[in-house]
Amino acid sequence: MNYILHIIIMINIYIILTVSTNLLVGMTNLLSLGQAAFYGIGAYLAVWALMVLHFPLIPAILLVMAGTALISLLIAYPTLRLRGDYFVLATLGFQLIIFTVLYNWVSVTRGPYGIPGIPSPELLGIVPISGLIPYLIFSLVMSLLTILIFYKLIHSPFGRVLKGIRDDEIAVLSLGRNDTAFKIWAFVISSAFIGIAGIIYATYVSYIDPTSFNLDEAIFILAAVLIGGTGNIRGPVVGAIFVVILPELLRFVGFPDAIAANLRQIIYGFSLIGFMFYRPQGLAGEYELK
Amino acid sequence: MSKARFIMDDIILQIDSVKKSFVRNIINKRGEEADERFFIIDDLDLFVPRGKISALIGGNGAGKTTLFNIISGLVDADTGSVVYQKEKDPVSLLGLPPFKIARIGIGRMFQDNHIFPTMTVLDNMLLADASRFGETPFVSIFKTKSAAKKEAERIDKMKNIFTDLFGEKNPFWEKRNDLAGSLSYGQQRLLGLARLFMGNYDLVLLDEPTAGVNPQIIQQVLLVIRKMIKEKGTTVFLIEHNMKVLLDVADFCSFMSHGKITAFGTPEDVIGNDEVRKTYLGM
Repeated sequence: MNYILHIIIMINIYIILTVSTNLLVGMTNLLSLGQAAFYGIGAYLAVWALMVLHFPLIPAILLVMAGTALISLLIAYPTLRLRGDYFVLATLGFQLIIFTVLYNWVSVTRGPYGIPGIPSPELLGIVPISGLIPYLIFSLVMSLLTILIFYKLIHSPFGRVLKGIRDDEIAVLSLGRNDTAFKIWAFVISSAFIGIAGIIYATYVSYIDPTSFNLDEAIFILAAVLIGGTGNIRGPVVGAIFVVILPELLRFVGFPDAIAANLRQIIYGFSLIGFMFYRPQGLAGEYELK
Repeated sequence: MSKARFIMDDIILQIDSVKKSFVRNIINKRGEEADERFFIIDDLDLFVPRGKISALIGGNGAGKTTLFNIISGLVDADTGSVVYQKEKDPVSLLGLPPFKIARIGIGRMFQDNHIFPTMTVLDNMLLADASRFGETPFVSIFKTKSAAKKEAERIDKMKNIFTDLFGEKNPFWEKRNDLAGSLSYGQQRLLGLARLFMGNYDLVLLDEPTAGVNPQIIQQVLLVIRKMIKEKGTTVFLIEHNMKVLLDVADFCSFMSHGKITAFGTPEDVIGNDEVRKTYLGM
């Protein structure tokens, strides 16, 4: 039973990651390889808020969201002026820089040793969230809230402009919409919610180190979005469930963990290639990435 | 040009001494590869009279679309000035980003449609509305009631535009929930034109509005262009290769050759010009 609860909590964390990433990838056609960096920034900011500042849960979440939003704003302006492949490369560079900083700034992040003993956050300063059931509820509430907010964004005039940018940026400009401002909004909102995934992960696992937020993780998040499908909410949710459950299924089939981990990567790779050819809209998406 | 100014004292767009060059790779006389500066727009002067339909004609590569791109802010000119006389205050367009040029009242229809193919006909129209209310994330999440009210107003406006332009039983209203990419090319062209009615434009730039469409759609396009002038008082500046269309709708015509305007007048005058007949019409 505990095992299933753990899987559901991880699915909830990945739903936040994929639904947030979809706003960039599926709605705005901005392929970002820097999402794991924001995930890591969120996790490390959570540690700072909880262990140094001793914030209760809600202020800690707000601080993490504000911090990731601010950092994303700082890098959004120069990178979002770049188009297509150059934007992908810029986010890749950002991902590598953040990983290097987390790994080497030992005096602050403890680098490769990681940060153990991250405390359970306290709701309203009284009720500690610890144990599987409270985390299940906490992660479920946060993922449902993320789904609700992104559903509203996608089905609003704001989402319509993002779709317009995805389809034809020049047409959007000629209709009087400032495409750069909308892309910055999408980038900042996406990053702020990815920060929430960071705080849930850090406090749930109670230990973080930079390897949880490296380029592999960034590709993993992107693969989850692309496999699930983009352009709606359903696709990224299905993608999150798929990538979390797949390795567990492999384990049940009887593959040893060491082989299952590598096999998992191979299956993701083949899945991506297969989807690009036979189902570009992913398992449950509605938009075919160009 | 000064003579023309005597004729038209109400000018909405004034273009003076505009140059635009590109560097292109050539083989020089010695058979070596070399870079050469090529002027696609070469010291061009032009004006567009307010409240009229002006046409721009010229051969392929003459620089017509580049000129439209300069006016729209999509391409920067090297030198010169482009001044838009919205009302009393002149606005210099060079250096302004395209979205600001659209907001001050210059609309654009592109040669290759530039509709949003994966969005519905409805969303294509609503995204073109002059009002941008509800397009911030804050309003989208927290002020859904006022945003919904604005959306209802936009849909009404869209329905009225479709009815006014294409009659009570028009395919666009019926297909409003279909993806715009599923419309025929001619319908996409009409949608691109109808979209301009959602904005508050004083001047619209139409790049070959009748290219690649059948005679029935051409008639509808012409009807829509006339409505722009008659009902909205919008000035129309269009690029056109169809001489019948030109004679049918245009009040004035400019002929562009090698980046310059070499003939200006009524369409009949310009078509009758020796240079135009020889170098463009092949007569």
